Amino acid sequence: MTTLSVDSYVPGRSLLHRWDPRLKLISLLALMFAFATVQHLTLVPAIAALSLGLYVAARLPLGLWRQRLSYPGLLILGLVLVLPFSLGPTVIWQWGGVALRQEGLAATALIAGRFLSILTLGLILLATTPFLSLLQAMRSLGLPAILTDMTLLTYRYLYEIADTLATMQRAMQLRGFGQGPHAWLRLNRQALEQRALLAGNLLIRSYEQSERVYRAMRLRGHGQGHPERGTGGGKMQTWAPHWGLTAALLGAALGLIMAEVALHHGYNGIGL
Amino acid sequence: MHIPDGILPAQVCVAGYAVTGLATWYSLGRINRRPDPSADIPKASLLTAAFFVASSIYIPLPPASVHLTLNGLLGVVLGYFAFPAIVIGLFFQALVLGHGGLTSLGVNAAMMGLPALLAYHLFQARNSLGRPLGEPARTGLFAFLGGALGVGLAVLIFLSLIVFNIPAEVEAKAERAALLALSLSHLPLIGVEGLFTALLVLFLRRVKPELLEG
Repeated sequence: MTTLSVDSYVPGRSLLHRWDPRLKLISLLALMFAFATVQHLTLVPAIAALSLGLYVAARLPLGLWRQRLSYPGLLILGLVLVLPFSLGPTVIWQWGGVALRQEGLAATALIAGRFLSILTLGLILLATTPFLSLLQAMRSLGLPAILTDMTLLTYRYLYEIADTLATMQRAMQLRGFGQGPHAWLRLNRQALEQRALLAGNLLIRSYEQSERVYRAMRLRGHGQGHPERGTGGGKMQTWAPHWGLTAALLGAALGLIMAEVALHHGYNGIGL
Repeated sequence: MHIPDGILPAQVCVAGYAVTGLATWYSLGRINRRPDPSADIPKASLLTAAFFVASSIYIPLPPASVHLTLNGLLGVVLGYFAFPAIVIGLFFQALVLGHGGLTSLGVNAAMMGLPALLAYHLFQARNSLGRPLGEPARTGLFAFLGGALGVGLAVLIFLSLIVFNIPAEVEAKAERAALLALSLSHLPLIGVEGLFTALLVLFLRRVKPELLEG
């Protein structure tokens, strides 16, 4: 846990970095949902080009994109390995009992294209906006105060609690826990109980710490004033390029949805 | 067990956000009925962080090892705070680890959070339904059921969403067979999660019973 970071923000001076976080959040989420509506392979090059163009415009490093791909790629990899060989009647290549099918390949390309394009947009949003600005934008767009407060407090204590767990696990190992060949593969009541006690102790420590945190917050006036005050997003910046970019992306989202509807009604192409 | 972006159609993602919005609104409404809702926020927040961290503990399940979802346990311990806690936890997982995604956040939150709320109600029913049993068997049994129900329902929703939304050209019979086979393969995980929840809740009952007040 210690090598990970909640804040994926990469400092920069691009237009996407300077874009008002509220407009950025609305525009990129609208575009992500528009990408999710794509069911026709014909539109995949367009969404891939759009997300690639925005990534280049944000001047983000390629390594960040590769790093983000590692875990969610597993489910996608599973689909890529299964769908081309199991979906559809049109066999385009056969070797023994293994047949590569055209419909399966098309479905795989559609899912992979959609996945990579949406992932890229999500990464642009997170990497060009500091976490706290993103949270403030969500709050000013109507996220309930309880959710904002909980998110901030969770963010504040996440790494401290991760360090506590790491210390507890190290102490257990020093006392012989998990030693021996293939110990991590042996499941018995004792092994499960030890892990349950470890998690239970972590919960108790966190609970006791939360009581101290709450008392400190009360001493600083928490819950006695106006909880809504100070959590808003401030005055909206009216710099013209912000609105121009917002209009362009919302227009692209609308255009994609209309193209998808038109293809659905007028073209009997390859779709899922 | 997270559905990434781009797998589900937009309609399902929007429906997921609608369900999550409703469930969050309902949970926050119940929280606001408490005498001092702000008093519980630090407790719920730090426990959310602790659950997030604790879900990284490996559990051996030969021939591999697994992470537990802990959504049933979250329901048992946090009560109505469990749903917002899951939304926040999944948001952090999307940010930190790239698990799940922003368009699928609503679906993932509903998939994990609704079973957590059910697990909470099931655990609360231990004093009425479980009256014939003595303590600590009653607490242990209902914690087991809560933990198993939490992950069991989440697995069922996850597999249904995947099986019914991806290969549209696969026959309905084959889809049902795949769903059944995949669900059965998760039974050991459901058992382990239930047992883990029961052991942990019995420990909390002995050491810090106020944590189980919901």
